[in-house]
Amino acid sequence: MIRRALGHLLMCKEVSRLLSQAEERRLTWWQGWRLRMHLSVCDKCTRFAAQLRFLRRAMRRWSS
Amino acid sequence: MATDFAREIEVHRGYLLRIAHLQLRDRDLAEDVVQDTLVAALGGSGFAGKSSLKTWLTGILKHKIVDAIRRKQREPAAVASFGDLEAELDIEDFDALFKANGAWESPPADWGDPEAALGRREFFDVMDFCLEKLPPNTARVFMMREVMELESDEICTELAITANNLWVILYRARMALRECLEQNWFADKGRSR
Repeated sequence: MIRRALGHLLMCKEVSRLLSQAEERRLTWWQGWRLRMHLSVCDKCTRFAAQLRFLRRAMRRWSS
Repeated sequence: MATDFAREIEVHRGYLLRIAHLQLRDRDLAEDVVQDTLVAALGGSGFAGKSSLKTWLTGILKHKIVDAIRRKQREPAAVASFGDLEAELDIEDFDALFKANGAWESPPADWGDPEAALGRREFFDVMDFCLEKLPPNTARVFMMREVMELESDEICTELAITANNLWVILYRARMALRECLEQNWFADKGRSR
């Protein structure tokens, strides 16, 4: 039971990769769900996600 | 009147060159592209004044850069320059950021209020520094996406790379930039707060 639950968990490395990919493509429903699950319990990745969004805004500002 | 406008435009030459050079990594080509941009700005459809002059010029420059990249891609000799992309794809420099089990090795730091940085000239100098540090092709692809705002499939078509390669390159660019900004800007800010 626990093992099955753990099998569904994403690790931070995979989360960072998917957060970047989400800027380029629509994630699958399953990926999106697992991403949200992870972010709901991981402060580090939530912070990383906010920093990625900031990076995008900063690049737009840099070029205008 | 016309000469006043020419002078106003000329003020932005340095800035345009900086973008073109970061994008093309070729000083002569960057000069050419900026020259084309200024000529087009002087003789073209005219500045409507709805955006700032700098934004308008940047818009023209983006088109000129895309044209230059397209031309470069068509030259047989230039294919080699993007051949390096393969080499850049092989760099596995992110393992250090994560533990073997996929957890953060050094988690992202608290950036405080990053929005405040957007109003600071010095922040964008650090940004330039960090962009310069990226491998050339990685920087080029990242700029096509984030500065010139091309769609992913356009970039893949232009550079003849797969979507998967594009994701890897953009991921790498974002990770490297994030870390560079943290070390060279936000770390200091954190200490001074």
